[in-house]
This record gives sequence, C-alpha cells and structure tokens, in this order.
Amino acid sequence: METTKKSEAKELGALLLDVGVSLLSSGASCSRIRITMRRFAAAYDYQAHVSIAPKSISLTLNDEADSPLFNGMLSTPAQGVNFKTISGISRLSWDTVENGLSIQEVKDELQKLLNLPHYPRLVILLFVSLAGSAFCFSFGGKPIELLITFGATFCGLFIRQEAVKKKFNPYICVFFGSLVASLFAGAFIKAGLNINFEHAFATSVLFLIPGVPLINSFTDLIDGNILNGLVRGINALMFAMAIAFGLLLAMLIYNLK
Amino acid sequence: MDLMLVLSKAFWCGWGAIGFGILFNVPPRTLFALWIGGAIGGFLKFTLLQLTVGVVFASFVGATAVGMLSIPIAHFRHVPPMIFAIPAVIPMIPGVFAYRTMLGLIKLTGAIGPDYTTIMSDTVNNGVKTLFIIMSLALGVSVPMHVMRQESAKNIRLKIK
Repeated sequence: METTKKSEAKELGALLLDVGVSLLSSGASCSRIRITMRRFAAAYDYQAHVSIAPKSISLTLNDEADSPLFNGMLSTPAQGVNFKTISGISRLSWDTVENGLSIQEVKDELQKLLNLPHYPRLVILLFVSLAGSAFCFSFGGKPIELLITFGATFCGLFIRQEAVKKKFNPYICVFFGSLVASLFAGAFIKAGLNINFEHAFATSVLFLIPGVPLINSFTDLIDGNILNGLVRGINALMFAMAIAFGLLLAMLIYNLK
Repeated sequence: MDLMLVLSKAFWCGWGAIGFGILFNVPPRTLFALWIGGAIGGFLKFTLLQLTVGVVFASFVGATAVGMLSIPIAHFRHVPPMIFAIPAVIPMIPGVFAYRTMLGLIKLTGAIGPDYTTIMSDTVNNGVKTLFIIMSLALGVSVPMHVMRQESAKNIRLKIK
C-alpha cells in the first residue's frame, strides 16, 4: 500500500513538473502555473508545494497528512510564447478534476497538446504584418506608411524566424529582426519619399515588442512574485534594448538623424 | 469629436489583436473574440483621447474593459482569460513612446549642448508615460480577477438576467 502510493506520487510528480515547465516556457504567469499544478495535484488527493525560478520549477508532493512523498525539480527548455499550450493545459486540468482522468491519460493528452501545430508560417507572417500596418494606422499613419510598415514587418519577422531556427541567442534574433525591418523602412526614407519618419520607423519594429513578458512581469509583481516579476521585466528590457540597437544601426547605416 | 476616425482606429486595433494572437499561437476559436476585444479596447482608448483624457488613464480604461470581457469569453470559449486579454491589449502598448524614450536615451549619451535639458525632460516624460501605460495595461487586465477575489475564472458565475 505504502509503496504503491509512493510510486504513484513519483509518476504524478514527474507529470506535474512537465505541466509546470510547459506552462513556464509558453509564457504563463507564476500564479497560473502554481494554481494549475495544485489543481492537478488536488485531483489525485495530493498537496503540491511549488517554487518557481526563472528557468526551473521545483515541486514537493505531500499526502493528505502533509508528509512529503516526492521531491523534484525540472529546468525549462527555450522560452517562447505559445498560448495554445496554456489553454490546452487549463482545459486538461479541469477535465481531470471533473472527469477523473488517470495519470496515464493525462500524460498522453499532454503529449498530444505539446505536439499541436502552430499556424502556417505564411499566415503568421501575413497577419503580423497586417497588425503592424494596423498599429501604424492607429498612430496616424498614411496609406504609403501602412504599406511600408507591412513590408518591413514581413521581412523583419521572416529574418527573426530564420534566426530562431538557426538557434541564435534570443536577443540577437530580435536584434536581427529589428535591423532588417528598419533597414527596409529606412530605404524608403532614404529614397526621398515624403513620409513621416517616426511612423515608419517606430511602427515597423513594433512586432518585436515583448508584450507577454512585460504584462506577465507586472502580473507577477501584483501577485507578490516579486523576484519572478523583476526577472521578466529585465528580460523584456533586454529585448527592448535589442530592438533599439537594431534601429540605431540602421539609422547609422543610412546616416539618418 | 471625430467619430469616423475613432471607429476606423478601433477597427484596425482589432486586426492588430488578431495578428498578435496568431503570433502567440492562440486557439483558432478565440480569434473572432480577439478582434472584438481589441476593437472595444481601442475604441474606448481613442474616444477618451479625443475627449482630452490623459493617455495613461485612457489606456487603463481600455484595458479594464478588455479584462472584464475576458471573463465571459473565458466561459464561452473555454480558455483562460489571459489568453484573450494579452493579445487584445497589445495594440494599446505605447510603441511610439517607447521608441522616443530609447532615442532620447541614446541622444543623452552625446555631448552636453544647449538643448540637453529639453532632450532630458522629453525623454523622462516619454519614459514615464511608457512605464505607466504598461503598468495600467497589466493592472487593467487583472482588475476583474482581483475585484472578484477568485483564482480562476471558472469560479466566477455569470448571471444572465
């Protein structure tokens, strides 16, 4: 009896760490990770104590009498943003609570979730470029500026995706994206087109803005996860610096002020 | 007040939200809701801006509306509220202010000339605006959850009269 409980705890602990790490590397806030892991644990009558570091998660599983059965830690792979994983895991956790899935079933479902495809690359490129034009419009851009932003975003995002594929440092990927996008936008200014400098430049790199780390940073701070919030905030700041360096280099190349 | 301009900006904010939703790989069933959320947030923000309300408060109101909407959408579309709320407020991220702050900071590394104090106050002004807008976006998005004192949107019952 004691040993089966222990081996179940071991299996569940490994699964929970997988869940937590998938959430952390998909851009979930700390309180969401903690709540989800506790919800899974509670479904099998365990208590989970979770500690979330910037790049790893530690977990202790206790039984109902609060004596520890499992200790473990797992570090995250490269971090990105994947909301399909977050929403899938959220659904799975409720499914587990309400329909009493077995640990093996949850494991299989999690694997399926993690293998779900992204949107096709062309769709991502086109819609993000459209979003860039939309931002340009909301800052008061003219049609020609919208077109330039569209093109700049398309090229910049394409280069960034290529850089990510080649496994460059994430900040350097953003730097490349920013450089290419602003080189594209700058070419039209250099060619002497009568366009608003700021609209074309500022909005062509907006797709690189680290929106999820920024918002998660403040969400974590509000929830009292001060350390995680600071780490995410500094991470976002590093991305912003990478964007700025790309822009500046393009301006230097074109000798624009 | 230029209603047509506000409406068209709101329309495009919706597309901005969809673009970022696709970049963040949201489930396809939330895309239409994202458009609505982005458009409503943008509509409120730009309407308030036209009424000469400050940009920080205008963004806060927009983000709060998105946060409120995120609860019913979490129920109808079976997604956590933040999946909907984050892409929907991204069009309100102050890109131009952040850009001006960065350029200003770089200019401040140059020699001290007669316009140095002007550049400094401009940079501080833009930087503080950026910071406060982002803070108000994050706060606005999480207001409903904090007001209702629930850890999960699933526990918040929707009363339909």
